[in-house]
Amino acid sequence: MNFEIAQQESYSCGELLLRTFFGWLYITAPHMLVLFFVGIWSSILHFISWWVILFTGRYPASFFEFHVKMLAWTMRLNAVTWNLAEGYPAIGTGGSHPAVTLDVPYPESLSRGKLLLRAFLGVFYISIPHGFCLYFRMIATGFLNFLSWWSLLFTGRIPDDWFQFNVGTLRWMARLNLYVTNMTDDYPPFSGKPAIVLESEAT
Amino acid sequence: MSEPIALPQPHELSQREKDDALAAYLMNFAAWGAGLPIPSLNLIAAWVYFLVNRKKSRFVAFHCFQACTSQIPTTLINILGVGMFVDYVLILNRDLPHFFWPYVAFAVVMNLIYLTSSIYACVLAAKGRVHYFLVFGRWAYARYYGPNAIALEGGSGRPNLPPTGF
Repeated sequence: MNFEIAQQESYSCGELLLRTFFGWLYITAPHMLVLFFVGIWSSILHFISWWVILFTGRYPASFFEFHVKMLAWTMRLNAVTWNLAEGYPAIGTGGSHPAVTLDVPYPESLSRGKLLLRAFLGVFYISIPHGFCLYFRMIATGFLNFLSWWSLLFTGRIPDDWFQFNVGTLRWMARLNLYVTNMTDDYPPFSGKPAIVLESEAT
Repeated sequence: MSEPIALPQPHELSQREKDDALAAYLMNFAAWGAGLPIPSLNLIAAWVYFLVNRKKSRFVAFHCFQACTSQIPTTLINILGVGMFVDYVLILNRDLPHFFWPYVAFAVVMNLIYLTSSIYACVLAAKGRVHYFLVFGRWAYARYYGPNAIALEGGSGRPNLPPTGF
């Protein structure tokens, strides 16, 4: 899985203020309204996918594409609301954002054993450890978002380390989402670093 | 059209078409998937799925249409049962009528029959084969492969035109 947000040279102070004071009205509210209904559909498809994987060992390709697009939608919404990217995030699964990239390879086959393991023991080996780590990471992300806001307001930039940390949190959440929803068999690492960095560190 | 359209054989179908077709029957479980005890939700899910997939291919559209329409009888039976329960017990606060439990038994049998045939159709769709449900199978065949089959291909509807007078 590859998730990146391109950092801009400079960010607009006016847009930042507009997003801060009215973002809930013109970004969050319409997106959440549509996401609510699309989310119901998505949960139905996830449920059906579970059965399809159980019997065929494959994720239905069209469902997979839908869920990747749905994830990309939530990621670009988060990127904008966390002030990591500018511009209005496209509503719907068909949209894209020039600064946000999400590539998820389609798995040709998925393990039925892992599917059952996730369903029955996922709470213990996914939810609890990742939830515990992400809880503290989210506190740090919130704090950095607050500091970034002031940095953006006065300098029009976000320090690179802060930016990468916040993008890493989104990446971690995306990986976790993919694993929990059976779209990959790779257990998500306890890190927000890109896969290429993790691989080079491992070797 | 005056000639029936040839049915595709399993080796002519892509894996994606087979997956999309088999998922159509699994919409029967949609009510459980969303965790809502609304007996009509599976029908709504099947209908939405049909609308989304009807242009993909005739094979997919046939299965989606059959899966959607064949749910109508059991959905109506379930709605009637739930409606009766809600009406008598929750709204009127009266005892259930004497025919309620036999009706529930009838509904359970009908649902089990539908469930079994759905699973059978689902397995066949996954293999790229067709299975015709009673009545609804013929209807779906006539709609997508029969002599008067609807056209899936073609234009995107009414063209954009300037306002009248220009």
